[in-house]
Amino acid sequence: MRECMDRYGALVWSLARRLSRTASDAEDAAQEIFLDIWRSAARYDASRGSDTVFVATIARRRLIDRLRKKSGEPPMEPPEALESIAWSDPASEPATAIDAAHAARALEELRPEQRQVLELGLMHGLSQSEIASRLRMPLGTVKSLMRRGLLRVREHMNIEIEGVAGRADG
Amino acid sequence: MAETGPQKEPDEAMLDLLIKQVTEGLSPEEQRELDVLDNEVASAYARDLEHAAAAISIAGTGQPEPMPAGVRSRIEAQLRAAVATAAAPSGRSSTVRAIGRVPRPARTTGGWWAAAACLVLAVLGWLRAPPLVHGPGAAPTPAQQRDALLARPGTLQIQLETTAEPAAAGSKADVVWDPRTQQGVARFVGLKPNDPSQHQYQLWIFDGDRDQRYPIDGGVFDVPPNADQVVVPIHAELRVHAAKAFAVTIEKPGGVVVSGREHVVAIGKAG
Repeated sequence: MRECMDRYGALVWSLARRLSRTASDAEDAAQEIFLDIWRSAARYDASRGSDTVFVATIARRRLIDRLRKKSGEPPMEPPEALESIAWSDPASEPATAIDAAHAARALEELRPEQRQVLELGLMHGLSQSEIASRLRMPLGTVKSLMRRGLLRVREHMNIEIEGVAGRADG
Repeated sequence: MAETGPQKEPDEAMLDLLIKQVTEGLSPEEQRELDVLDNEVASAYARDLEHAAAAISIAGTGQPEPMPAGVRSRIEAQLRAAVATAAAPSGRSSTVRAIGRVPRPARTTGGWWAAAACLVLAVLGWLRAPPLVHGPGAAPTPAQQRDALLARPGTLQIQLETTAEPAAAGSKADVVWDPRTQQGVARFVGLKPNDPSQHQYQLWIFDGDRDQRYPIDGGVFDVPPNADQVVVPIHAELRVHAAKAFAVTIEKPGGVVVSGREHVVAIGKAG
């Protein structure tokens, strides 16, 4: 358990802090996430991605679920308080975060507004409606930017991973 | 993500639902709408999109913020309690209840976490952690251990005196300790249930050969709700040369290395 906390504690805590309204909420969320990890571990398939992404996926599911349940409450932070994200440098990522490095590389290639919409949605937990309101964009535009951005990242990650697999096979 | 993705492409409506699902979640109505669409295509795309969203989240986290030690300690205690509950067999017939595992100082486990597969291994490690209460035909329960210890020559039996601490009101406690094998069991009747996220009970062994300011940690334990009696295996962190006394305190989740002794629940001298 200690190793699990050593390895994933900071990641889970960082995600929980970003997508929770209070530190107390984040603590409750982190506890639920580690229970989810424990329950879901048998489903982990290394061929589908790194363990770090597996953990982040579980964390995001739980955090989104919690956000939805609290959706009647006021927004987490005033829009003005949303700082811009310092994205990882793809070249400096450790091997365990290779998927994240691929994602960071893909994000670099996105149009700024696609990247901004993904940042607000995935890192700040804003809904598409909230993003539309904040950026004064039609909801349909936000949906379109998010769709294209996320699909581009997905495609980029598949290409990267297939490339790595191909080089390994060859 | 090693797959090339589904052959069939989702239509725009499905894609909008899938993206909303992985970014902010769906309302029950939207979920029903998604459920009636092509499940095979939807689930393959959902998996890929969720994976991409998780990878972006990690990339955006940059240098992760360390989990505060207090939070970590509370979460570990809650997890231990949850795992112990899950590991305990159902249908126990006696009033002896599963109790918290004794925490140990950090030990390396051969680098389980060095590789991606470590996740499975480590969590299976959790699952395979020796249960504290065993079913019939398996390893002995703490109560059975107690009976076996009492049957051995040289075993000490010590009655503990409970204190005025509210958690101890009306309770009784005793310890059985075999100096030769360093095995022991503590039994408590009527000790108040604790909330493992707030505090835990901790056992202490005073060794005549050691500084009495620093008794040996005998492990933490919990008293589940409605447990009339708990029987706790004692796990001494160090070899006990000459057990002189046993004590129980209330401490923060996970226990402490040195007790402030603000909340002593019970204490008893050997011999």
